[in-house]
Amino acid sequence: MQAIVDCNSFYCTCERLFQPQLLHRPVVVLSNNDGCIVSRTDEAKQLGISMAVPYFQAKDLIEKNGVTTFSSNYHLYGDLSWRVMETMRLLLPPGHVEVYSVDEAFVDLSHLPTENVYSFCLELKNKIEQWTGISVSIGAAPNKVLSKVANRLAKKNKLKTNCVVVLDTTKKIQAALQQTPVEDIWGVGFSYSEKLKVYGINTAYTLSIKDLSWGKRFLGGVVGMRLIRELKGFKSHSMQAPRTEKKMIATTRMFGRNVTDWQEIEEALATYTTRAAEKLRRQHSAATGIAVFLLKKAPIQLDATYYNRGRQVSGYTQLDNPTQSTPDLIKAVVAIGKTLYEKDEVYKKAGVILSGFVPDSALQTNLFVAPIDTKKKKLMHVIDNMNAAYRNDVLKFGTSGTQKNWKMRSEKRSKRFTTRWDELCMVK
Amino acid sequence: MEFQEEAYEQKTGYTGAKNYQSAQIVQANATGFGAASDDFMERGIDLNEQLVRNKPATFFFRVNSDAMLGAGIHIGDTLIVDRSIQARSGNVVVAVLNGEFLVRRLQIQEHSISLLPENKKYGSIQVAQLSDYSTWGVVTFVIHAL
Repeated sequence: MQAIVDCNSFYCTCERLFQPQLLHRPVVVLSNNDGCIVSRTDEAKQLGISMAVPYFQAKDLIEKNGVTTFSSNYHLYGDLSWRVMETMRLLLPPGHVEVYSVDEAFVDLSHLPTENVYSFCLELKNKIEQWTGISVSIGAAPNKVLSKVANRLAKKNKLKTNCVVVLDTTKKIQAALQQTPVEDIWGVGFSYSEKLKVYGINTAYTLSIKDLSWGKRFLGGVVGMRLIRELKGFKSHSMQAPRTEKKMIATTRMFGRNVTDWQEIEEALATYTTRAAEKLRRQHSAATGIAVFLLKKAPIQLDATYYNRGRQVSGYTQLDNPTQSTPDLIKAVVAIGKTLYEKDEVYKKAGVILSGFVPDSALQTNLFVAPIDTKKKKLMHVIDNMNAAYRNDVLKFGTSGTQKNWKMRSEKRSKRFTTRWDELCMVK
Repeated sequence: MEFQEEAYEQKTGYTGAKNYQSAQIVQANATGFGAASDDFMERGIDLNEQLVRNKPATFFFRVNSDAMLGAGIHIGDTLIVDRSIQARSGNVVVAVLNGEFLVRRLQIQEHSISLLPENKKYGSIQVAQLSDYSTWGVVTFVIHAL
């Protein structure tokens, strides 16, 4: 059996853990830049606040009902996420926990006899909640797709299910599939669900009785075939090894306000490059490919029914020598940025994408270019360690600026209760 | 399957400080006469070993009241709180009462729960049946600057 452990309204639950006066009250957390609603408590859901709607659209509803609103506090969520995952790793054999996202993990339960799965899941749920204060829902089934189906049902009726649903018999699986609309199947996106409805397939059950060959033909080839196979109860997705080494590192952010000034764009690009370069060095890689993009503000159309995206301009450079040094990368990024920037345009977002990685231990230098400077590597090592030890980027490069007027908005962020000595939770 | 409490202890004890490698042991690396004590060097004392028994369940709080002065808990002290410990009567706990964090000594009697202060200025709090109460975690250590 496999299970998926999914935290309940994760960001909101993190906020409530240190602000217990918000228990049983509606709470929402906003995305980066206070743009959209990304987490809601059940109380907020009941008020009719939908997921992913822009903040300004829900603002009336929020103010009218006294909903507490938070900006994203990734320091807090990241730490609590680690605690949840670590608790699972301590309670399960090595390699049985696959962290899938900040608030979800697949858990391999193949070491347990099927009849013990339910009591184990219940115990696991209780332990995670007791140790970390984060409530979770667990769905267990013969494979990943069905465990997601089970988890959805566990979350839908928390009181009845106690947040644990185990699909361990064909009968239970069938009943669960009949209650699952196609658009709620893991891996079925909006366009596929529309397509399936055209074929008269509205529930996961009707999809599960289709032939594998049908899936191959109408559901995107092998991917669709695998999906139907899992719905039938066979295993197609295995546990995945942690993705420790990325092939690409992207740092992209919305600006906190409209930006027209080149200097501000340059500062933003340098800051994003610094972040990306830190991640690059943390995985012991050096990059050869650098891409930069700028997103312009779209002209305002009041009657637009869908989100109108501005025009994006981008550029790419292939470096002669792979590098992991922040100043080298900033230089290249800023050079690209300059070619993209147009005066009198309004920008909303910028991004830096590093690619073409080679291991930094064996940097193959270009025969016709000056060899790599090992001093740079040492310098970056010192800077990284100092920034990690003191937090808050004590050492920065000048290009990244000091004012940061373009920085993301996060006006309602709570304290970093678990990672900062001077922001600890007070107790009377 | 039942979790066995003993297995738990073994599995979770000292998890916060286990990440230690033999290469981290310091040596004198003396240039003259080989330091005689190098053969006996061992891991130094690490506060995490003593103070953080179960890292994912351990949290820190800052004290903002003198209600527990008698227990040696002063204003400004840091509390180390372990959520994985089952709170028993007599434990000093961080409790949540009507949405507020309190540090008090927990007293569990047959039909009632009370929060006892250790300072005459404060009265004990009998937790009413219907009030919004939960024990957040058990205080395991207090860090106090002299």
